[in-house]
Amino acid sequence: MSVLRWAVIAASVFAAGALTTLASKALGRGRLTYYSPPRSRASRGIVYALGRGLLPSEKESARLHLASYLGGIVYHLGIFASLAILIVLVIDLRLAPFFWWILRAFSAVGFAAGIGLFSKRILKTPSRRLSVPDDFGANILVDVFLACALTASLRPSFIPVFFGCSIALLVYIPAGKIRHCFFFFLSRILFGRFFGRRGTLPARTRSHEG
Amino acid sequence: MSGTPVPRRLKREDFETAIRRFAQLLDAPSVINLESCVRCGLCAESCHYYLDDGDLRSIPAAKLNLVIRVFKRYLSPGGRGLGLWLGTRAFNAEEAEEWIDSLFGRCTLCGRCALNCTMGINIPAVIRKGRGVLASLGLVPDGLSSTVELARDTGNNMGIARKDWIETVAWLEEDLRTEISDPTARLPLDVQGAEFLYLVNPREPKFYPLTLTAAAKIFHAAGANWTLSSDFFDVTDYAYFSGDNDTAALISGRAREAAEKLGAASIVLSECGHGFVSNRWEAPEWLAAKPAIEVKSVLEVVAGYIRDGRLRLDPDRNLKPITLHDPCQLVRLGGISEEQRFILRRAAKDFVEMTPNREHNYCCGGGGGQLSMTDYAVRRRSAGRIKSEQIRRTRAAVVATPCHNCLDQLAELNKHHKLGVEVKSVLELTADAVVLDGDGLRGNSPAL
Repeated sequence: MSVLRWAVIAASVFAAGALTTLASKALGRGRLTYYSPPRSRASRGIVYALGRGLLPSEKESARLHLASYLGGIVYHLGIFASLAILIVLVIDLRLAPFFWWILRAFSAVGFAAGIGLFSKRILKTPSRRLSVPDDFGANILVDVFLACALTASLRPSFIPVFFGCSIALLVYIPAGKIRHCFFFFLSRILFGRFFGRRGTLPARTRSHEG
Repeated sequence: MSGTPVPRRLKREDFETAIRRFAQLLDAPSVINLESCVRCGLCAESCHYYLDDGDLRSIPAAKLNLVIRVFKRYLSPGGRGLGLWLGTRAFNAEEAEEWIDSLFGRCTLCGRCALNCTMGINIPAVIRKGRGVLASLGLVPDGLSSTVELARDTGNNMGIARKDWIETVAWLEEDLRTEISDPTARLPLDVQGAEFLYLVNPREPKFYPLTLTAAAKIFHAAGANWTLSSDFFDVTDYAYFSGDNDTAALISGRAREAAEKLGAASIVLSECGHGFVSNRWEAPEWLAAKPAIEVKSVLEVVAGYIRDGRLRLDPDRNLKPITLHDPCQLVRLGGISEEQRFILRRAAKDFVEMTPNREHNYCCGGGGGQLSMTDYAVRRRSAGRIKSEQIRRTRAAVVATPCHNCLDQLAELNKHHKLGVEVKSVLELTADAVVLDGDGLRGNSPAL
């Protein structure tokens, strides 16, 4: 058991290190400063991009695909809850039952959302045609992780299996699409900075309403 | 598959060279964008091409992933080893043909998808990198590449000779004097130390001289100290659309040289969406230098004249219902969204917005170099259906837009989709409403 625990920690360090290396390699390519004078404040755009700019009120795509959008949010909340379960179990933290049930609830609905998004990717032609094996594989791996977290939180005998699954996930993160967990924030910041300094976002008027 | 076929002359080594060029083009934002797509496909309906044809290749994520799959194979850690799993592709003639058809033939670089991307990926910026790779192989569609070459070789994208330009300016000056019965009205050429150098779209002297006299009338009414240059007058930079940064820098650099030579305090850009983005936002990056001279849109200048009370407009001179098309480059990617509204609300009696508008507006389909790429003309007109439906819903009689590419495309859509509207530039409508001294008409005050 303690070997598995250390293996989880080692896999976490590997994932964090690999993601940091990927990000620093990307950032090392430069062009992070602009020569053109800004028209508005980049910081306003960044705050928008990481906040209000993620809401359906600001995104036609989110409004048109509200179920997928909400499914994605619930899925990611479930992932964070399962990661919290992993941390709690690895460092053997004592949690009040109330918090356990919250984490279990999020993991459960996150799992359901994951299955839903997986089904959509298979069943809807545009999603299926856009997908590569990594998209399906990553989804399955994360869904199994959520299911294992939920089970391990209820049955301590399942914890070794959960740790094993977590190691597989952590090692896989830098290799495939789950890299986006790290790049998402960089991408949103760059988006906010780009449109913020040009004065496009945040918009001064509720433009889509005419 | 329509579009430019990849010439057989290209060999494996050429594609290897192109990958090296791809690596050179990749800056930090590009790599972050390329690593971020999760292929959720939520961007699909943000693209007017996909809304029109429903072709999966028109989904922005599909276009983006053409670039991603080559990037991952050659330039992303782990991409080669996990090739099949990550869906990577070798860059060869077959792949290049797909790139040409999608990156040139199904995209106007309008950026509507970027605003709708959950991850915040700057999709047009990535598409433009892809175009840059194709440009390095000489695979830019003929119409666009010849437009760029003409601008590079002659100083403007229509190949207008210096002598003809000077004669046209003189003729338009006479025309303006007659129109407003004022012998002091001018289209000044090569004035040293002017307040600003005015750059125009070569379509103006060639096909739409009224837009140039409209600007001159407005500047005259506002008492502006401005000038045109006999050396260089072209606001456009089609290398922005071809993805060829070196040529783009060369062309944009000429505008600065012309302004510096005349000692102009600033450069004012005529109504041109990509001309604004190129000269205002991208040129400093291409030239890797902070601009010594301020670059502004003519809309900012005219709105300033109205605010300062230098220009009086009479909205009773434009009585028909007018709607506004927002050029993607100027508005979504350029940040100029309110000035044109401020002007039109004072120049016209009945101004009605399209829905959606401003940064959410649909592309008319004329951007991205599409007007010069005849291979994709049928697709371009068809994709313009989305814009046509938007226009029709407004019930306006006049469509105004501050961009010459948009004007051309809207004029085509007007015929093709039988819209029955007039298509005019914002400056033309503004000039129609200008109150000159001695007009005896009541113009609006800045407070209006």
